[in-house]
This record gives sequence, C-alpha cells and structure tokens, in this order.
Amino acid sequence: MSSSHMALSLLNMGIRMTTPLLLAALGGAATEHANIFNIALEAMMLISAFTAVVANHLFSSPWMGILAAVATGLLIGLIFAWFSISLKVDVIVVGSVLNILSVGLTTFLLRLLFHVRTTFSSPRMVPIPVIQIAALEKVPLLDALFNGHSLLTYVAWLLVLVSWFLYYKTPFGLHLRAAGEHPEALATVGISPDRVKYQAALISGAFCGLGGCHLAIGYLNQFVENMTAGRGFIALAAVTFGRGNPARILFATVLFGLADAVAIRLQQVGIPSYFPMMLPYVLTVISLVVVSVREMKRRGHMKS
Amino acid sequence: MKPMLRSFLALVITITLVCALMLATGDNPIIAMRELVIGAFGSVSNLAATLSNATPLIFTGLAVAVAFRAGVINIGGEGQMAVGAIAAALAGIYIKGLPGFLHKFVALFVSLLFGMLWAFIPGVLMIKFNTNETVTTIMLNYVATLLCDYLVNYPFRKPGAPLGFTHNVLSTARFSPLMPLTRLNTTFILGVAIAIGLALMYRYRSIGYEWKVLGLNRRFAKYMGFKVDRLRLLALCLSGGLAGLGGAAVVLGIQYRYVQGLSAGYGFDGVLVSLMAANHPVGVILVAILFGALKAGGLQMEAATSIPCELTQVLQSVILLFMAAQIAMRKIVGTTPTLVTDQSSGTDVKGEQVSNV
Repeated sequence: MSSSHMALSLLNMGIRMTTPLLLAALGGAATEHANIFNIALEAMMLISAFTAVVANHLFSSPWMGILAAVATGLLIGLIFAWFSISLKVDVIVVGSVLNILSVGLTTFLLRLLFHVRTTFSSPRMVPIPVIQIAALEKVPLLDALFNGHSLLTYVAWLLVLVSWFLYYKTPFGLHLRAAGEHPEALATVGISPDRVKYQAALISGAFCGLGGCHLAIGYLNQFVENMTAGRGFIALAAVTFGRGNPARILFATVLFGLADAVAIRLQQVGIPSYFPMMLPYVLTVISLVVVSVREMKRRGHMKS
Repeated sequence: MKPMLRSFLALVITITLVCALMLATGDNPIIAMRELVIGAFGSVSNLAATLSNATPLIFTGLAVAVAFRAGVINIGGEGQMAVGAIAAALAGIYIKGLPGFLHKFVALFVSLLFGMLWAFIPGVLMIKFNTNETVTTIMLNYVATLLCDYLVNYPFRKPGAPLGFTHNVLSTARFSPLMPLTRLNTTFILGVAIAIGLALMYRYRSIGYEWKVLGLNRRFAKYMGFKVDRLRLLALCLSGGLAGLGGAAVVLGIQYRYVQGLSAGYGFDGVLVSLMAANHPVGVILVAILFGALKAGGLQMEAATSIPCELTQVLQSVILLFMAAQIAMRKIVGTTPTLVTDQSSGTDVKGEQVSNV
C-alpha cells in the first residue's frame, strides 16, 4: 500500500514537472517543422516567467500574468524571427545571444525594479487556480494523474491535441512542414516561406510563454534568478527526440518529467540524483544516432 | 544599406533608452560611463581584474573559433571546460611529490586530454553516424556538468564543505598571481601564447589552410582530396581540449579547487567571443579582454550608481546582435550559403540543415 502510494505521488509530481517541458516542446515543434534550430526556447521561457510575475504582482491577477507571459513570448519570438529570418543572422548566434541576454535582463530588472537578488515573491500575487475534480478522487490512479494540477497543466495536455491537429491536419501545418523541407516548392505556389517561418517562431514564443508562466506562477508564485535552469534545452531534447511530432513529444516529456520527479525524490532521501537527470540528454543523443543509422541504411538500400 | 540603417537606428534607440533609464533612476549617464571605464582600466589592479576575467574567455573563445574555422559547430564548450577543470583539480590534488613546473604541466596536460576526450564523443558520432554536432555538443554539456556535479558532491567532496567543492590543489600545481592581491596569473599569458600559436599555425601549416577550405565548402574540400572526416574530428577534439584548458586556468590560477558550477556560462560566452572576433585567434584575445573589461567596469559602475552591473551583460548582447546583423557573422562559418548545409549532395540527414535559416 505504501509503495503504491509512493508510486502515485511520484506520478503526480512527474506530471507537474512535465508541464513546462511539454508546453515549450510543443512550441519548439513548430520551429522544428519549419527547420529552424531553436535554442532560444530557454530565453523565451525565462523572460516570460519574469513578466508573468511582474503582471501578477501589479494586477493581483493570474490571468494578467498569463496574458503578459504569452505577449512576452510572442515578442521574443518576433525578435528571434526578425534577426534570424529577415536580417539572416545565423540562428545559433541569435539563440545564444538571446539566452545570455535573458539571464542578464531578468536579473537586471529584478534588481532595478524590486531591489532584490535571486528571488522575488509578493503577497499580492494570486496563483493560477488548481483543479480538483471530486469524482476522480475515489480512483487513486486517476486522482494522481488528473487532480491537484494548476490550470496550465490541463491546457498543456489539450495543446498536445491542438498542436497535432495544427501541424498535421490543417493547410497551415502543410505550409509549415513545406517551409522546412521544400521552401522552394512552397514559394512556387505563392506562399512566402519566410512568412510561415515567422509564424512558427511566434507559435514557439507563445507556447514557451505559457511554459515560463507555469514555472513562475503555476505553483510557487515567485521568480528565481535563472529559474528555467536548462528546461528550454530539455524541451529542445524532447523536440529532437520526438522529431516535432506532438505525440512523441508528449511521450518524451512525460518520461523526462518522471525522471525529474525520481531525481527529486532520490535527493530527498540522500541518494545522488545526477544520473536520472542525465536521461533526457543521453536519450536524445542515442535517438539522433538511431535516426542517422536508419537514414544511412535507407540510403544504402536505395543505391543498391 | 537599408538593413544597415535599420540596425543603426535600433542601436541609437537602445543607447537612448539606456540613458533615459539612467536618468529615470536619478543617475548621470556620463558618470556611469566614466565609472565603467575606470573600473575596467583605471588602475593597475582594475586592469588585472579585467585581464583575469578575460582569461577563461580566451580559452573558450579559441575553442569555438578553432571548430568554426573548420565548419564544425561546437556549442559544447561548457561541458568540455567542466571535464577539463575537474581533471586538472584532481591531478592538482592527488598527484604528489612532483616539482612545481612538472606538476603544473601534468595538470594542464590532463585537462587538455579530458577536454579532448569529451569532445571526441560527439566527434566520433559526427563522422561515423553523421549526427548533427550542434545538437550533440549541447546535450553533452548537461551530461558533463551533471557528472562533474556528482563527482564533486560525492567521491571528491571536501568533507564539511557547505557547497560542492574539492580540496585545494597542492601549492606545486598553483599558478601564483602575476601581481600581488590580484587574480591575474600566468594562465592569461598561456592563453595569449596559444592564440598566437594558432594564428601562426593557420599561417604556416597546411592544416590551417585545409580547415579554412573545409569551413568554406566541405564538398570542395572533398574534391581537393582532403581527409575531411579526420580534419573535422581533429578540429572538434582540439576545440574541446582548449575548452578543457580553460577549466584548468580557472582551477589552477583562480579558484585553486573545483567548485560546482564552475564552467556555467563560459561555453556560450565563448561562442559570442569567437563570433565577435570573426573566429580569428588574435581577435579572440581582444574581444575576451573587452568582455572582461565590461564585467570589471560593471561592478564599479554599480558601486557608484544605482544601476545593477547586469546592465553591461544586457548591452553586450544587444550590441552583438546588431553587429551580427550587418557584418561577417551572418553565418557562423565562412561566407557562402552552402557551408553548413549541403542540400544537393544528399548525404546529410535533415538535422544537418538546421543552421541554414
């Protein structure tokens, strides 16, 4: 009984850890399909986490926090797109600079506006509502899976379906994938690939905005210096592992979230937790090798 | 002309905003600027702080520059630096009884070796399986830092330490300050010497030319009969080794031990340094000194005004973006659009094309 209880609470924590990764990775899928290597997911999340806290503090409203975070994500997405698509700066340059900028800028503003270092929280902030469905409480598994999460967790799960539909079942999705794989073909039917890439960058920004918002005001209601702590890169790992497919991304982020939960639990009982935390990165490298080998075999087949 | 004008306008707007911000907080922008310059170059000890800040950046900047020259994108400097740093620390702590010169040499060599080994992993995957080294080097950063965090928190943790750090390295392994009471030490000179050595190698050895051709056009390098795979692997390994040496510079010259999170941020900073220096080794020294100066000056500015020192980091990034928008940095490597991407050859997997945006 006790061990099953522990497994369920681990599951619940895993889902909590999954949410920001899932949100950012679903956004990263848009840029992945458009063949934009988006390492700026981290920056988009971090700056949005900051503005979510500021807006929530100013208006005492989680909704304003969400709104501010999404608007910030869109803005960073626009800056990312402007430099990398219109001004043709290498995406890795733009991403690296934005990531460094995001840490500097949020710390700078934290100290300038609130005169604090490392952490800011305020009693005026109102957390995002937590959903508790009474009917599910009787079934422990469903209770652990679906109860006690902040609203954005449910939004994230819903967005898996929405983004799958968007990327694979709509004309926009077709344009998106064409912009990544055959931009010339897209241009010949009169649609600007650059325009579609801009839209992809904006989608990634908006989704990362939600992810950053969840980190900041989903549970803890505070901003901590560099609080994304590499989650943007775990999301990037999930995107790479899932090759942009929301279903595979869901699988990867749940796995990474669970690994994170296991790591936290191990830490609590004093066992080194560094090795489960390596899982996302190691799995992604392995999956890249597997994909490459498969590709090489396919090519070899075609030649013979 | 038009994009240049736009960038220039944006830059003017940025600077105006910063000045407005300073006026709004009741600070005089001219005084802030003066303090910044004084903090960086105003006295011998300030200059020493600038140069010691620059030291690790010279190494990670050179690391990135070597790889970029050969068209290999190494974003893994942070991990390679961490591995090199912990290797240097362990060599400095546990190898006993060596004379000072030899001990320092061994510790530096070990950091070079482990940095190279860590870069060898993505290197082999790159040439054997054609995996995208941009992604694998990024991912291995986290594996390396987590591994080092484990080592420094469990097997090699100094007992009773509040944070994860090792014992101090023996005095025979330490590079002492060039000036008393500063952190500037011989590793700065080592970094400068390596940069000059690289510049000379590029000038006089064929490998410098081969890397350049490879970076400009990989297919052309193949037609020229260069051993492309070997050249790429070598560039990535040397790159990792330099980043590893950067770790040793911090451990043996500044901290005298491995501290958890020691390499954080240096890898990406190295990317910016190398880009701003157009991947030229001597340029890397100058840009690293500039970055070091902004850091040292920022602290002085903060002390004299109410502007947090992170402002310099923000300005540095913004200015770099606008610079990148107009000059040589549009593409990380070379100047023609077919560099990283080789769409027509059909030998590259999809991931290979990611930087062609």
